[in-house]
Amino acid sequence: MNLHDALSSGTFAVTSEVGPPKGTDVSEMLASAEILRGRVHALNVTDNQAAVMRLCTLAACIHLKNAGHDAVYQVTCRDRNRLAMQSDLLGAASFGITNVLALTGDHIVVGDHPAAKSVFDYESVQLLETIVDLKGGRDAAGNELHGVPDFTIGAVVTPDAKPFRPQLAKFEKKVRAGATYFQTQAVYDPESFTSFSAYARGLGVKILAGVVVLRSAGMARFMNKNIPGIEVPQALIDQLEASNDPVQTGIEITARFIEQVRSECDGVHVMAVGAEHLVPRILDAAGL
Amino acid sequence: MIVVRRKPIDEILKMVGRHTRVMLVGCNTCAAVSLAGGQKEVDTLIELLSLAASRKGFSVEFSDAILERQCEPEFIEKLDSQGYDAILSLGCGAGVATLAGDNDKPVYPALDTLFIGSAQGFASWQAECSACGSCVLGETCGICPTTRCAKGILNGPCGGVKDGTCELGDRPCAWVEIYDRLESLGRIDDFGKTMPAKDNSISARCCEWDMTKEGDDS
Amino acid sequence: MSNIPPHKASEADKDRVFAPCRARCPVHIDVPGYLSAVAEGRFTDALEIVMQRNPLPSVCGRVCLRPCEEGCRRCNLDEPVAIAALKRAAADHGAYPLPRPMGTRPERVAIIGSGPTGLTAAHDLAQLGMKVTLFEEKPKLGGMLRYGIPNYRLPDDALDRDIGHIVSLGVETITGVRVGRDLNLDELAQTFDAVLIAAGLQGSRSVPIDGAHLPQVMTALDFLERSASGEKLDLGERVVVVGGGNVAMDVARTAIRQHAQSVDVICLESRDEMPASEHEIEDATLEGANVHCSWGPHAVIGDENVCALDTVRCTSIFDSEKRFAPEFDESELRRFEADTIILAIGQSADVGDLGINLTHRGSPIVDPVTLRTSHEGIYAAGDVVTGPTRIIDAIAHGHRAAAAIFGALVDDWSLLRELDLENTVLGEIPPHMSEMLETRRRIQMETVPFYEAIKNWGEIEEGYTEYEAAREAQRCLGCTTGARLAQEKCASCLSCMRVCPHGAPGVHVGGYMYFDMEACHACGTCASACPGSAISIEGCSPDEMVLRVQRALASPTIDQTIAFVCGHTRNALETLDPNARIVTVSCLLRVDESTVLQAFRSGAGRVAFSECDTGTCRFPHALKLVAQRERSIVSALTQIGMGDSFRIVGPASDEEAPS
Ligand SMILES: Cc1cc2nc3c(=O)[nH]c(=O)nc-3n(C[C@H](O)[C@H](O)[C@H](O)COP(=O)(O)OP(=O)(O)OC[C@H]3O[C@@H](n4cnc5c(N)ncnc54)[C@H](O)[C@@H]3O)c2cc1C
Ligand code: SF4
Ligand code: SF4
Ligand code: SF4
Repeated sequence: MNLHDALSSGTFAVTSEVGPPKGTDVSEMLASAEILRGRVHALNVTDNQAAVMRLCTLAACIHLKNAGHDAVYQVTCRDRNRLAMQSDLLGAASFGITNVLALTGDHIVVGDHPAAKSVFDYESVQLLETIVDLKGGRDAAGNELHGVPDFTIGAVVTPDAKPFRPQLAKFEKKVRAGATYFQTQAVYDPESFTSFSAYARGLGVKILAGVVVLRSAGMARFMNKNIPGIEVPQALIDQLEASNDPVQTGIEITARFIEQVRSECDGVHVMAVGAEHLVPRILDAAGL
Repeated sequence: MIVVRRKPIDEILKMVGRHTRVMLVGCNTCAAVSLAGGQKEVDTLIELLSLAASRKGFSVEFSDAILERQCEPEFIEKLDSQGYDAILSLGCGAGVATLAGDNDKPVYPALDTLFIGSAQGFASWQAECSACGSCVLGETCGICPTTRCAKGILNGPCGGVKDGTCELGDRPCAWVEIYDRLESLGRIDDFGKTMPAKDNSISARCCEWDMTKEGDDS
Repeated sequence: MSNIPPHKASEADKDRVFAPCRARCPVHIDVPGYLSAVAEGRFTDALEIVMQRNPLPSVCGRVCLRPCEEGCRRCNLDEPVAIAALKRAAADHGAYPLPRPMGTRPERVAIIGSGPTGLTAAHDLAQLGMKVTLFEEKPKLGGMLRYGIPNYRLPDDALDRDIGHIVSLGVETITGVRVGRDLNLDELAQTFDAVLIAAGLQGSRSVPIDGAHLPQVMTALDFLERSASGEKLDLGERVVVVGGGNVAMDVARTAIRQHAQSVDVICLESRDEMPASEHEIEDATLEGANVHCSWGPHAVIGDENVCALDTVRCTSIFDSEKRFAPEFDESELRRFEADTIILAIGQSADVGDLGINLTHRGSPIVDPVTLRTSHEGIYAAGDVVTGPTRIIDAIAHGHRAAAAIFGALVDDWSLLRELDLENTVLGEIPPHMSEMLETRRRIQMETVPFYEAIKNWGEIEEGYTEYEAAREAQRCLGCTTGARLAQEKCASCLSCMRVCPHGAPGVHVGGYMYFDMEACHACGTCASACPGSAISIEGCSPDEMVLRVQRALASPTIDQTIAFVCGHTRNALETLDPNARIVTVSCLLRVDESTVLQAFRSGAGRVAFSECDTGTCRFPHALKLVAQRERSIVSALTQIGMGDSFRIVGPASDEEAPS
């Protein structure tokens, strides 16, 4: 079952992600995808993640598609203006790649080409509106399209953002702009997540809980300190600290989390962050 | 005000080092106010260049002049640069350009023009405006998202904001500030209005503004 | 009598705002000016500034009665700056101008009397190019400075330094000649174009009581003069001094040094009414004199051997209109045993033999502006005219006499007019400013302890060392010497407003800046921040700084270090370069980038900043800006490959500091 069908049929959706290579050798990316074949409904392809230049997302999506995977085409606003983004989206649709996830994107100066000009002609809300326009048969300037793409439109949200209210207002804008499902930033506190999720689902959108497996207490502390919108509760950090096999403990924590929120959301998005090989173990543990 | 900053000496020396008599021209408006182009900075730069030039074995002679505003031809007319073979401007880009357009000698910039900004106490400025040609400050309570948001985005904070600080870590998140200010003014509903992407054609077409020209008198 | 053309007050005169110290000084010495020079260790500059208005710096630095200090704006904060002692420091550590006879004009002026009045007039007229001859009755020059004021307060060598300089201007001196006795005034008036009588008060008042004529009774002036001339007097064991002023204290302390066993000072006044300075009374008491207040001399009892002074209780000395009219209670008597009685109850003019018109007090009658007597070409000035005053008043009168004589002989009255220009006095420290200023006590000068001091005639006060002087001078708030604005250069950037700790700069509608002089303490922060070079602070303009650097660098050796040193802290330069040439500044903020760069261009191989100790910093608000300045210097020099040529050294820790 692909992502679209999972979401529309009410099946608990499972996605993960792969990163395109720096270079033209896609074998490793395809190998990572291979491990997850049959375990996930779709694989996200990141777009020059963290502003580090890589093989283009669209090409990577085509490779995955050709290998029989369902790909989610992530589109950021950092590197392309509205013309380039629209034409790439049309290009993607022409290859049958119809899952898109609209993001604003990390800033250029944090990446490996800090001197580049950042574009941000659009940001996520405006991009979502344009994707909806395309789906409706017109481009952003109102011109008619010959051949109309169909998209499953996703966006992202950070339920633990600080401060939260501006983030929430932006989330609502994204909903109004036409996002139908949301993938969240990594979440760890079931209670706060489910309360957000309940609110969001009330607006008629699907929510995929973002999970990142914690492999050590140090990693948890690092994320708390450096990654915006991530709140690993102290109890979990203590648990990892006390463990002789923190990786196993991390997997158990993740599985337990999925267990706890499963009935309150529409799926889960497992971010591998450099440990793709662990994803199947997580899914096993969570019974997915 | 336009905020400027002195270029690295090497860069300046590469431009003026091949000349023999160079006049440094300061600007007593924005460049002076941003502490980079007044009499004092002109004097300091002359000392610095003289020292640097003599260490490199160049023999360049420098002298100074201050203009009230370099971006006005009438002020520039007062400048007597006879006998000099180059001019080093301590004005903003507009000053350099105006001087250069009015002169038969090469005019070099000693400063980099940074932004249009406001003073934040002594020797400290904040970028406030990007001269985009289509102002949205009315919607954002006077905080320019195009300028003060690192990404210049128009519809609320990105996911990078951490405890109210921008993803780049060097400034408060403009969108959190806009949110707070809208809220304190009882205008929080306005935050929910989606702002369309900027019409960049306005600035693209705005190469001059001549009110005396027919058709330009909007 | 005075026919000087009337003087029109110009706009510029109205701008004469004086620091209160300067305003109170009868000769208006530029006090903040010389204090700032001392603060920067520039003693010769300081001495030059003092000598523009006072030719007796060494004398006044020791024994001036210091009206300036009463006005010091620090009085409301802690205590006045030691203005006089710092004048002495300038004279002690600075170099006097080289001798250069001036006499280039034909006019000849005779001056009778070589006290401060005569010396000052001689100095001024000689500087104006006139040929001056000083006539002095005593064997040496100096008047009361030599024969009145005792050596332990004003030693001869200190006096001779000032006199030596004045004489070196080409003044002719004739001593041991009393005009009126050995020469007559008319003769002088014929030989000279003008004559100035500056004879002081050489007569002593007496009391109309029984026994006042007895041989055991002396006058103060006679006693002091003989002591000053080195005579050993046999006073017997018990000395009684009559009088309550400073002269009486000098007499008492001199009597102690003449080996009197007991010294009783008796005076009409109650303790609070005594005219003597408080510290003089304290010092006299400390040295062993017993002061007995509210007793009036009644009779001297005695014959050739035994002697005593009988006194009666004085119940009041002034009447309801504050006139001197002592009342006594004859029933309360007290006898003071005495071998010698010294009367120190006032001096009077003694110029009856000159043949000019005198007041009932015996003083020459003069025009108050020009000081001319009823005789054409004959002038009189100083105590002989005014009655007893202070040295600095006598100096002021000397200036006036010189200016008037010059005016009359050359028909140029500008100098005299200048003396009478109006000035405005700077107001008190505004409250917001005093709250921010740290209190700092005066630096105490080393003195010889009293039990040692009474054994000889040596000077008691030892004077400030150079370091102590600079530290003390740093207490001065630099009133009126602070920010001056050249409006046409101002860019209205408001930097001055932003950096000033006292809110002195302000801005008018239209962007015009102004500075509130009362709130400014001349830290120079604004000037250092001003991009338009529109602000100047007295004594540290860019040109002056360059000059000081060049002076310090005169004949530099290879790789010479020039060190800018904060004058507020002992520096630790020896750790960096013991041979560094030093330029002391009140605050390192006064050294801007171009001064540093110019130092290199003037031949310095290295430049160092010697910072102050934050604890003793005079301008704490400047610390951050100094750090910023240092960074920008380092960055600029690094960019041209000279990053190593600039160093920063911290202060010497006080324990290690050599004393
Ligand atoms: C004991 C004493 C201590 C004092 N201490 C201080 C002090 O600490 N601080 C302070 O500010 N003031 C002090 N004073 C006051 C001060 O000394 C006088 O105000 C000042 O000296 C007056 O100066 P003058 O030049 O007018 O007179 P003088 O100093 O008296 O000088 C007059 C000179 O004229 C000479 N002379 C007089 N007649 C003739 C003549 N016919 N021919 C030739 N020569 C003549 C005299 O010999 C004398 O040298 C003191 C005074 C005395 C007496
Ligand atoms: S602080 Fe200095 S300038 Fe001000 S009154 Fe005192 S001595 Fe004079
Ligand atoms: S910064 Fe200092 S010198 Fe300038 S006005 Fe203020 S107190 Fe005076
Ligand atoms: S710092 Fe200088 S240029 Fe700026 S306002 Fe003050 S006086 Fe004017």
